[in-house]
Amino acid sequence: MWRACQSERHLGQYYTLPTSHLHTIFPHGLPARYQQQVKTFNEGCVMVRQPALELISYLKAADYSKPAVRYLLYGLKGSGKTMSLCHTIHYCSTQGWLVLHIPDAHLWVKNCKELLPSSYHTSRFDQPIEASNWLRNFRTTNERFLSKIKLRQRYTWTKRESTEKGSPLGELVDMGVSRVKSSSDVVGAVLKELRLQAAETEESEGFRLAVAIDGVNSLWGRTTIKKEDKSPVAPEELTLIHNLRKMIDNNWCGGAVIATLSQTGSLYSPSSAYLPKELLGEEGFDSMDPFIPVPVSNYSEKEFESCYLYYLDRHWLQHPHSENEGKKEIIFLSNRNPSVLERLCAFL
Amino acid sequence: VSASSIGRLVMLFLVRWSRYNPYYLEPEPRKELYNMPETELTTEQKEERELKAVRPIKATTNSTTSSVFNDPVLSKFVNMMMRDGEKILARGILTQTLESLKRKQVEKYHKAPQGKKAEIECNPYAIFHQALENCMPVIGLASIQKGGKFYQVPVPLTDNRRRFLAMKWMITECRDNKNRRTLMYEKLSQELLAAYSKEGNVIKRKHELHKMAESNRAYAHYRWW
Repeated sequence: MWRACQSERHLGQYYTLPTSHLHTIFPHGLPARYQQQVKTFNEGCVMVRQPALELISYLKAADYSKPAVRYLLYGLKGSGKTMSLCHTIHYCSTQGWLVLHIPDAHLWVKNCKELLPSSYHTSRFDQPIEASNWLRNFRTTNERFLSKIKLRQRYTWTKRESTEKGSPLGELVDMGVSRVKSSSDVVGAVLKELRLQAAETEESEGFRLAVAIDGVNSLWGRTTIKKEDKSPVAPEELTLIHNLRKMIDNNWCGGAVIATLSQTGSLYSPSSAYLPKELLGEEGFDSMDPFIPVPVSNYSEKEFESCYLYYLDRHWLQHPHSENEGKKEIIFLSNRNPSVLERLCAFL
Repeated sequence: VSASSIGRLVMLFLVRWSRYNPYYLEPEPRKELYNMPETELTTEQKEERELKAVRPIKATTNSTTSSVFNDPVLSKFVNMMMRDGEKILARGILTQTLESLKRKQVEKYHKAPQGKKAEIECNPYAIFHQALENCMPVIGLASIQKGGKFYQVPVPLTDNRRRFLAMKWMITECRDNKNRRTLMYEKLSQELLAAYSKEGNVIKRKHELHKMAESNRAYAHYRWW
């Protein structure tokens, strides 16, 4: 179980995520097929790959008194961006950071069942279901911080309800989970508090904030949500997206923003697009600029060998011919793309 | 029915349904035969090679592969599951079935204690073939007319017919007798696992056919072949 001491020597090797970590840190973060794999093999193993190691070394070397650095993972479809993100989040969690993980920002801009007009700002819209789900998962991930962080400001929700200054963050989160109507505003308040308080120095019980967003290109694209008069809703008009955009701006210190591009869930973008300029668009690129791009590619030969041996060890590759002649076929068919390889080996 | 031309490999095929001229040769998808060096060829194979240099070859079907993972029984099963020519969908269902079979078995394997691990079969192909074998009837019934009436006469079945019946029963059972909301691959994997352990509706149907054949034993002499 190597956590903070992973280095280039361990490239291509697998490390096991303890089951307790899987339930606390990743209630909603892992890709669906990977969750199935964890259930089948009765363990969760992640491969140590070069992009994740690079990110972790940048995080170790960064200066946290300066404004937050933004990292962007990009690459072809299925090359392992979400898994690298999860690896980095696991590292941050074990180092004691507060992790703000949005598993898929695309889910917030499409298929919205309930859209309420926001009470705080008349032209914006609230999404109570998504916000309360996220708050629940946030509570599971960051239990230990909820009692330590105190609010700096008083928040009034309705005429009768308000959260006082100095009360713990846990109270705010519980309120958001129970009062579904104002959960989007609670999300905004939580983000603002964390942004202000992350800048504390280490000595006075400060914490480092890691904002991890999967599918960041949805924040500046188009939505498929429609208002009651059938006109489309722009992303700015959604409270959740608006508050997330404020998090991504690098005007706060004491943490990092790690984002992943994703074409799979994105709306109105061609399936061959994977570069940041194409997926983020003009507006997105200007807001994210300057950022550190981290390319994620298909498996190298060594990584492919390691994955193949892992599947053999877990009794996953069962076809009698998959040992020798079949291996060349598998390399040819999958082009060493991690997700294609996984789907191919699923029925072999 | 007519025989093809010169001596060696006499093939009987129905002239009526074949659109190819008899001198077209069958295609050979297996890679090993092309990699054999000159010395290992028998006279027959050498003559075949010379023939291939001059004669044209028939076109193959789309589902012929030289891949090591090719399985003729599975291809036949996919063709039987296919509706309206949607082979991609049928093949997708089959791959999902194999995956779900493997997932269930591997999960059981990893949770089992050390002693029980060797008994659990994780290979979905082995399970599929064994389940089909368990479903194949040994004896069948043919409808023979004698003296104005039709009698159900017990009759031996060829291998092809037995395999066809097993696959047909499996597919119809999964399509008709299961819950409408479950997906086909889930239904198929449950039924295949049951057949592997000799339980389930398809095995029951096979036993009923055997019982009918046993009860109609008296008419067995009506068969003339």
